[in-house]
Amino acid sequence: MSTPDSSSTLSKPSTASDPGGEPAAPPTGPAGGAISAAEAVISTARLTKRFGTTAALDEVDLRVRGGELVVLLGLSGSGKSTLLRCLNGLQPISGGEVSVLGQRVDTASRGELRALRTQVGFVFQQFNLVGRLSCLENVLTGALGRVRGPRYGVLSYSRALRREALAHLDRVGLADRAFQRADTLSGGQQQRVAIARTLMQRPKVLLADEPVASLDPENAGVVMDLMFQICVEEGLTVLCTLHQIDLALGWAKRIVGLREGVKVLDREASGLTRAEVMEIYQRVEPGRPEGAGEGLPT
Amino acid sequence: MTAGSDPSSSPGSSSPDSSPASRSAASTGLLTPPEPEPAASAGPAIRPPVTRNGVQLTLTALFGVVAVVLSVWRLDLEPAELTDAFGDLGRLLKRMWPPVFDDPGRIAELALETLLIALIGTVFAAVLSAPLALLAARNTAPNRAVQAVARGIITFCRAVPDLVFAVLFVRAMGIGVLPGIMALAVHSVGMLGKLFADAIEESSPDPREAVRSTGAGPLRELVSGVLPQVVPSWIATFIYRIDINLRTSVVLGYVGAGGIGFALKDSLSGLVYDKALGLVTAILVIIIAMELLSVVLRRVLLSPPRGDRTGRTAPRDPVKVSAPWTNERITRAVSSTLLAATFVYGFVLLKVDLRELLTSIGDIFQVGTRLIPPNFTLAGWKLFGAVVETVAIGVVATAVGFVLSIPFGLLSARTVSPNRVVYAVARTLIVVIRAIPELILAVVFVVAFGLGPLAGACALAIASIGFLGKLVADAAEEIDLGPVEAVRAVGGGWWAQLFSAVLPQLVPALIGNTLYMLDVNIRHSTILGIVGAGGVGFLLFESIRTVNYEFAGGIILIVFVIVFAVERLSGWIRSKVI
Ligand SMILES: Nc1ncnc2c1ncn2[C@@H]1O[C@H](COP(=O)(O)OP(=O)(O)OP(=O)(O)O)[C@@H](O)[C@H]1O
Ligand SMILES: [Mg+2]
Repeated sequence: MSTPDSSSTLSKPSTASDPGGEPAAPPTGPAGGAISAAEAVISTARLTKRFGTTAALDEVDLRVRGGELVVLLGLSGSGKSTLLRCLNGLQPISGGEVSVLGQRVDTASRGELRALRTQVGFVFQQFNLVGRLSCLENVLTGALGRVRGPRYGVLSYSRALRREALAHLDRVGLADRAFQRADTLSGGQQQRVAIARTLMQRPKVLLADEPVASLDPENAGVVMDLMFQICVEEGLTVLCTLHQIDLALGWAKRIVGLREGVKVLDREASGLTRAEVMEIYQRVEPGRPEGAGEGLPT
Repeated sequence: MTAGSDPSSSPGSSSPDSSPASRSAASTGLLTPPEPEPAASAGPAIRPPVTRNGVQLTLTALFGVVAVVLSVWRLDLEPAELTDAFGDLGRLLKRMWPPVFDDPGRIAELALETLLIALIGTVFAAVLSAPLALLAARNTAPNRAVQAVARGIITFCRAVPDLVFAVLFVRAMGIGVLPGIMALAVHSVGMLGKLFADAIEESSPDPREAVRSTGAGPLRELVSGVLPQVVPSWIATFIYRIDINLRTSVVLGYVGAGGIGFALKDSLSGLVYDKALGLVTAILVIIIAMELLSVVLRRVLLSPPRGDRTGRTAPRDPVKVSAPWTNERITRAVSSTLLAATFVYGFVLLKVDLRELLTSIGDIFQVGTRLIPPNFTLAGWKLFGAVVETVAIGVVATAVGFVLSIPFGLLSARTVSPNRVVYAVARTLIVVIRAIPELILAVVFVVAFGLGPLAGACALAIASIGFLGKLVADAAEEIDLGPVEAVRAVGGGWWAQLFSAVLPQLVPALIGNTLYMLDVNIRHSTILGIVGAGGVGFLLFESIRTVNYEFAGGIILIVFVIVFAVERLSGWIRSKVI
């Protein structure tokens, strides 16, 4: 099931250290239908990220259209989080190029990166809330990208911002908990607060890194449905990593599979079967780390 | 753990059992079911393995014992002299009794002044420490060079005793409360900066990342992602520091830096002992009152929410989006308003001039530059002797504190103390000891025993018993009771429980805190000289009084090096013990 481009990029090692020639047009066309560079809101070309000697991402080409909802699947350690973090510059990349909303991320100055981040929401697996602050204050931090100067305490934000934050909390069903400490909420509620914080950012793009991995199945369903619902209503471009194939197949427009940092699947979700998706999770060779010479097991 | 002791190789062993043959026979007994006869009488069959760590620790312990013996010898402490000394102390106390409060209004005024000096000094220290800690914490420092400089400043502030700063600042700014406030502020940066930075390093990176991914810059990231996490720990440290600074501010008057200490010095040098006891009593009252207040404050400000999930958590007013007035919010608002009001009132009452405050910063820098280049030669070998005496006082006091704090602490632990009366008596004693600042003890002991290191060593030893005793007691009350029950279950009595279940659990904390105590005691013993209780302090204060700043700079540098070395050593030992 290996796509032709991924096997061909594997065969030529480490050419990506220097982007060289033509940065705008990647030599190998993206899989999953042609998405032109102009259409793409998120686009990576030969994106490579190394930690020491291990390549967490190996020449990944990915394009996501505006308003598209893409789910990223893959085993633990396959590089999903790394990919998302490279997209908003939380992680500097080792090679290739990344652009989001027309802004080159890898070459962006600090100011440009900050300006970009204000438009890119990020939902974390561990929620990343400040536990001892109230839900409202946590949501208000979502506005930090567009206010001037440091803020401390709910009252340091303008009344308009407070009202907006409350409205977002209302949208995730937690307006009555506005002044409750975040760490006294359940996990599902905390992730809803985190989603409200992201909405406070008024993003155009949403990156979600296993938003429901630490929730029980029932809460996971509720939170995912809520998040995707809002994204569809707002017309956000979404790239979300998940471990739940059913949720992915239910909501995604397109599914992308990563295995050991290599893109191994990139297809429209409609018509995709569970069995085809499960192939992403097959290890190359359980015993050996690389399995270079052998082909993929079928 | 004692890999060094080996009964079979002791010189006096004449028994033939310790031959290699019997030893190997005994060791095979480990694999086969042990035969009782050789295992019981012959060499040590089952011994802990000799590890590198064990050897190093044993050598360190031996070194410690040698250091204590040498220190006792250096200070000429003899049992006869000690019993004499306690006789002297009894006579002095008799002359002091009953305490006299001849001008209660004046005493109250001085007490208030002392309290405000401590408070304002600590607030200044916190204001200075917060940015310094951000620069000194590994995860918030802009780069390693800045971090190293910030850490260096913090360590320096900690290593130079508050009274040394006070003397220097009094020289620079003249007699008054301002040098006292600034001395407390600068020295406290040493502790507040370090603990603030530690709290930052322990904070979670996750919320910061969330703030960063909204596009906020570094300052907003710190204020919204880091600060909310560390504030409770910072408040706890701040309140704790007010307690400590109050103990110093009662003696600031000794060097002309304001507060009740001046009156105490006056009445002692005028031999008006009953009045002095009145002042000491007043001092104890403010310190204990402050300690109670800080317990209350800590409880109010830092207790986690009471899990009141059904409480009022919706906005009070959906248009203004304002928080509901919960009890927690009310107490928080009231206590911070009170603190702010007291702070401002202190400024007015102590007549602290803001302009003077600003120029004082220039004065401080000027004094600092006059300490350079340090000079070590002015007093010749007297300096070396004084430094050794300083360290010896610290070592002896810590050793006495270590040994005596164990029985004291255990008796005042609810879980260990044999009965309630013993518990109550021991606890009360510890509370009283802890309330008396060591310099006040030193003052009283100097009057009783005469000038010299004996007074200083006794004062620091008693203070150490109080400090370590409380730690032992608290640790003993928090130990895991499982092992105690296990020993009881096999029929062990009180002593067996103590040695097999309680003490092993206390040892790491006790060692860690004793090493910390050594660090504190050496720093304190450098200022005992100001009241004539021995150590290098006398030379230090004399050199400042006679405007030999460069010599003072030399002494300060030596103290800094010693404190730094002790800190490194104790860090190393702690890493081995845990
Ligand atoms: N900061 C880091 N330092 C070193 N190696 C890292 C770092 N972050 C990720 N890696 C490595 O990169 C690889 C990809 O990690 P990543 O976190 O992206 O996987 P993932 O697909 O998100 O896994 P999971 O499903 O468990 O979240 C792993 O081998 C991981 O060990
Ligand atoms: Mg991950």
